[in-house]
Amino acid sequence: MQTTSKAQKFLKSKTFILLILLAMEVVVFTVLSQGLYINIINIRNILNSIVITAFLTVGAVLLMVRGYVDISASAVGCFTTMMVASLLAAGIPWPLAIIFCLLASAVVGCVNAILITKCGFQPFIVTMAMAQVLKGLQYIIFGTNPIAIKDPTMVALGTHRIAGLIPYTLILALICIAIYGFILSKTYFGKSIYMIGGNPQAANLAGLNPKRMAYILFINDSALAGLAGCLLAFRLKSGALDSITNGQFTGMTGAILGGVSFGGGTGGMFGAFIGMLVISAFKTGLTLLAVPAWWMTFGSGALLLFALAFDHFASFRRTKS
Amino acid sequence: MTEVNTSVNTDRNAGGKGMALEVDNISKSFPGVKALQNVSFRAEPGKVLALLGENGAGKSTLLKVLSGDIKPDEGEVRIGGVPQKFDAPVQAIQAGISVIYQERQLVPSMSVLENIYCGDLPATKAGFLKKKEMRQTAERIIQEFGLEIDPFEKLGRLSTAHQQMVEIMKAYRRDSQIIAFDEPTASLTDKEVTILFDLIQRLKEQGKIILYVSHRLAEIFQITDEIVVLKDGRMVKQLKTAETNEAELIKAMVGRDIGDTYSSLKRNDKMGDVLLEVNNLTTDAVHDVSFKLRRGEIVGFAGLVGAGRTEVVRAIFGADPIISGEVILDGEKVNFKHPKDAIDAGIALCPEDRKEQGLIRFRSVQDNVCLPVFKKMRKGLILDRKKQEALTEKAVEKYSIRTPTFEKLVVELSGGNQQKVILGRWTSELLTTKLLILDEPTKGIDVGTKAEIYQILCDLAREGKGVIFISSELPEVINIADTIIVMHNGHITGTLAREDATEEKVMSLAMLD
Repeated sequence: MQTTSKAQKFLKSKTFILLILLAMEVVVFTVLSQGLYINIINIRNILNSIVITAFLTVGAVLLMVRGYVDISASAVGCFTTMMVASLLAAGIPWPLAIIFCLLASAVVGCVNAILITKCGFQPFIVTMAMAQVLKGLQYIIFGTNPIAIKDPTMVALGTHRIAGLIPYTLILALICIAIYGFILSKTYFGKSIYMIGGNPQAANLAGLNPKRMAYILFINDSALAGLAGCLLAFRLKSGALDSITNGQFTGMTGAILGGVSFGGGTGGMFGAFIGMLVISAFKTGLTLLAVPAWWMTFGSGALLLFALAFDHFASFRRTKS
Repeated sequence: MTEVNTSVNTDRNAGGKGMALEVDNISKSFPGVKALQNVSFRAEPGKVLALLGENGAGKSTLLKVLSGDIKPDEGEVRIGGVPQKFDAPVQAIQAGISVIYQERQLVPSMSVLENIYCGDLPATKAGFLKKKEMRQTAERIIQEFGLEIDPFEKLGRLSTAHQQMVEIMKAYRRDSQIIAFDEPTASLTDKEVTILFDLIQRLKEQGKIILYVSHRLAEIFQITDEIVVLKDGRMVKQLKTAETNEAELIKAMVGRDIGDTYSSLKRNDKMGDVLLEVNNLTTDAVHDVSFKLRRGEIVGFAGLVGAGRTEVVRAIFGADPIISGEVILDGEKVNFKHPKDAIDAGIALCPEDRKEQGLIRFRSVQDNVCLPVFKKMRKGLILDRKKQEALTEKAVEKYSIRTPTFEKLVVELSGGNQQKVILGRWTSELLTTKLLILDEPTKGIDVGTKAEIYQILCDLAREGKGVIFISSELPEVINIADTIIVMHNGHITGTLAREDATEEKVMSLAMLD
């Protein structure tokens, strides 16, 4: 039995194309910004910006491999920035505050899963509605004023960097990506996500349990978003509103760029991570060049469309052969 | 503003009154199957012509050619001697052909009225709908049909039968010269059937051409004038209804060369004790089904599509809920809540629709073979790749699955090899399968691989496993199975031993009215 070697396979993969794209971005932006792009301050900015996105990407990748989507993740994140700040302000010790936030997030994921599996509603619609519910609740419960975070341990976790460069939270994000990447590619659980995502009916008739999987994945996605929200609050030293929405779309766009298909059953964590880096590098590059904000919005939208078209033509070719 | 033309032009090359429909030498192939081969016939105006044949005889394909859904590879359709070329269904409608399918082509969220006019809403020059005209016409049609339907009711709220009637109204409203019915009575009550037949009679008197596809012989004798018999995509004969009888028709439908395929099979000759006993099983779709299966026995289920065979095995397998009755496996009463429980108890199901229910198409051969046993391949935290490869290798060897690598996406294999992948999945040594259920395992598979699959079934029986074999192809089911159970309309209508089974006997049980 012949098998294509791993190196050959890699050279043909989307991930490889993305790595080239990433390298090109770095070169182009460095030249255009006359070297500022690889300046230490800018690199710190880039590293900072990918932390939250990384957490959201991880959850989104698992869901998308299953063929689902969760629009409410960013709203969950926003909610927990405020929640963790107000819990800490109320004098609750940080471990408990984080646990409460994660539990609250998990409840949201569970409700999403119930509505999707029991009532058969579309994930997109359910989670879109849930996002609005949470946004509203956030204002109702916590008001509109930022809540300062003074807990020294958490502020340190959010703001300190190794060697003045790499944020602690980035290490957490990378560990998270590594663990989930391992789960997805190597374990029985990960394999089950691909199988159910590939064809839920066939997987069900072969003894796998698509319903239970929906619960696990939606709860996981919400909990990760909740954690991301907490970490963001620690970095900003306050609970602030509406600070996370972009992260979710960057994450999803990155995942699609990296080969995760909206239809489910394909793609992987590493590709999605690189895809996410491509977009983050793109955005920080534009910021650095002082490109007006609307051009950045235009740019990210165009990139998402590009990613979708890319995904479409890739799967089109796949069905044709 | 340019003029909005939303109406279907019924004049342009439309089949006028008194013109015959000629189907000339039509052939159509799909990958691996010749669906139609040189089919020719002529339908006269003012006559009802029946299209008769077994499942897979080519009736549906023929209707799709007439409705412009698919293009024939060869041959042409002529109306009044004028050749017709349909690139899209709308052109067939313009030519005066309406096909009323079993699966209704209606919009449930719209009103009856809008559905009657669907695709052809009359509008003023400014683009407003001519509501009044629509309402009046719809009310007149509903009245002519003698039904009590509110034209403003949402279609989805009507009964299945009334929805079917709305579909017919749609064709009636278009004033199509050629109307084809695909098993129109399948979901109608007796009273509605009478209304439909009256209507067909009226259409006939108006000089229209009616094509009528049905499995119900009694109906065919009641309302048709001529019959075209199809078999394996070929036309067997065209005869006058008045000059034939049921026996002749059944013989024409099923009579064919069986060949040596069956006589050269190595069969199982020793049966064991009872493995599966089903008593009075009732679900949404089947009623009071009882049968027994011994170790080493192949029980075949024959019947028409929709007779309830798939529903019986899905219920046994825990995929559909059981309302009442019991399933006894190996002397123990079982009630599986999920397919997983059935698999753990030693049952395997190769589902009817390979593509939708059996395979994970865009995953590898290896993933598809290992699907139900991944759980048993855990080594610590990770999945053991070597075990997966070893298992796949065995399946590939055992059934000589033709694939260049194990990584090949299963969608890229031929139908026969895909089926073997599923067989390999359920017969691996990591499962203790005692009972294998195969639902239409030879559908869309070439003759050579069919023979291989027959031998695999016999081998499984020789190993002492029980086999349930569902097939709509009569010759294979009566020649492979030891016992043949015939179903009709959710009930078992007969059980025959292989020695006693003939295609005629099975067919008349399956078509029981």
